Amino acid sequence: MRLTWRGAEFRLLLPILLLVPLGFLVTNIALTGALETGDMTLAVGFVALFVVAHVVLVASGHRGDQLILPAVGALGGIGIIMLNRLPQDLAGTSAFGLELGMAATQLLWFAVGMIVMLAIAVGLRDDGILRHYKYSWAAIGIALLAATLVLGYEVNGARLWIDLGPVSVQPGELLKIVLVVFIAGYLAETRTLLTSARMRIGFLSIPPLPYFLPMLVLFAAVMLIVVVLNDLGTALLFFGTFLTMLFVATGRRSYVLIGLILFVAGAWVAYQLFGHVQARVDVWLDPFADPLGAGFQPVRAIYALGRGGVFGEGLGQGLVTLGGSLTIPFVHTDFIFTAIAEELGLLGAFALLGFAMILVFRGLRIAALARDDFGALLAAGLTASLGLQTLIIIGGNTKLIPLTGITLPFVSYGGSSVVASFIMIGLLLAISHRSGSADEEAAG
Amino acid sequence: MTAEILRILLLLAQLGFVALLYLILMRFAGSLLRDLRSAEEAQISSRSGIGRLSVLESPADEPPNGTTIALGPINSIGRNVNNTIFVEDDFVSANHAMLTFRGRSWFVEDQGSTNGTFVNGHRIERPVALSFGDELTIGRVRMRLDR
Repeated sequence: MRLTWRGAEFRLLLPILLLVPLGFLVTNIALTGALETGDMTLAVGFVALFVVAHVVLVASGHRGDQLILPAVGALGGIGIIMLNRLPQDLAGTSAFGLELGMAATQLLWFAVGMIVMLAIAVGLRDDGILRHYKYSWAAIGIALLAATLVLGYEVNGARLWIDLGPVSVQPGELLKIVLVVFIAGYLAETRTLLTSARMRIGFLSIPPLPYFLPMLVLFAAVMLIVVVLNDLGTALLFFGTFLTMLFVATGRRSYVLIGLILFVAGAWVAYQLFGHVQARVDVWLDPFADPLGAGFQPVRAIYALGRGGVFGEGLGQGLVTLGGSLTIPFVHTDFIFTAIAEELGLLGAFALLGFAMILVFRGLRIAALARDDFGALLAAGLTASLGLQTLIIIGGNTKLIPLTGITLPFVSYGGSSVVASFIMIGLLLAISHRSGSADEEAAG
Repeated sequence: MTAEILRILLLLAQLGFVALLYLILMRFAGSLLRDLRSAEEAQISSRSGIGRLSVLESPADEPPNGTTIALGPINSIGRNVNNTIFVEDDFVSANHAMLTFRGRSWFVEDQGSTNGTFVNGHRIERPVALSFGDELTIGRVRMRLDR
């Protein structure tokens, strides 16, 4: 095995290794009012994780993209600084005789995710296992959903969680990946049929149904269950990812147009039928109608954004407490962007968006350079999923769209979300490794 | 007084933190630009074609194992040396198959060969559209269509 000197990755990781300890230091000074470093264990642990990942990639001769790991490091770094700054009793684990606070638990999940990511990035030399068993993957996805439907329990009105002894998991996070793998496999096989054959209704050309129906049926089933589970954010995410992949595979604008029409129709029906959807939309349109009841969350979030302004209140100096507890609800998961925007201001929020954009840009580049259609579609789908998830939750935080509870990838607290996001990065690295080695062969 | 100094230090540290965030972003931008430039050069020098065939298995080593063949829009494949892609194998017919790029897709058509043309292990009866990554088997020679 040959080493590859991943210079760009190294150069970009260096300042991030500085960023996290600096963030911890500033937080500690602001919170205690004393010139002390405080407990740096978690910052050092976080930094060590990324150093180890970099070394493993170098040692295994990995030729994949060099910018996505640092981008993940920047997002995760901002996340862990914020989670360390928040009260540690918001979440945490007490398993195997260990009592861990919120930030420590998050770091633990980062370690798990990183191991999975490296295993995929280095170990997945052949995508046949993903490509050829796509129906098995679809079956696993359906099984995951069914398990949630039967065994799941509700948190905040959405039934997403399964209790597995010491940990609770969100199968929906894994389902997201499985679904992208299935759609990529299916579209790679039928892409040419979907583009060459055509049926027309009026001025719209629609996909030839015999080839399109199996995927449509499966997708409709998934959407139905997700809506029954009352997980609107995930439903929106799945739908957006699906449309993006369809467009990437066929290059037909009319398919996207049909999809959007279906979405608007579906949203209208859901608004008429379900009370909770109506409540969400009404709160979004006018949160101040009931500022202490239904509108409580968005009103708190808007005030926090206003307090932050352009420059922010400063790390550890914002986040008003009321009777000892923070006024922003779900500040460590759904509303972490709001907390970041309050303490680091518009400047910090823009930087965060910048890192997310770099991740998306590189993901699309990996898709464009992929050697085969399956790899290209998989990369495009994973990237669309990560990007849309970021867009949906930040849009919800800033009242651009109705709020739906999903996590901000790599930033929000949550084990399932962190591990799932790392799996996606692992797949992107594996895809880009194969096109990277191919270029090398062609050149030398 | 010490409280004042601490406040100023804290303010500086806060500014430093945000400045570092933007420094990292600038570095990313630099890397992105470098990559775009080198990609442009690479595009000009090598990867401007519409596709290529990677030779996965070739018992007689013609085409040589492990090489890639750049493709034009129309490629004939067979044991006759006048074919665009000359294949040396006893199981290959003189004019075996035709590989063409039409519109936005690759198509392969058998030219009435004795032993048939296979796509991903299935024998084709009529012209078939190929996706990048598909495997083409002609006689005992296995090739993969790549971008």
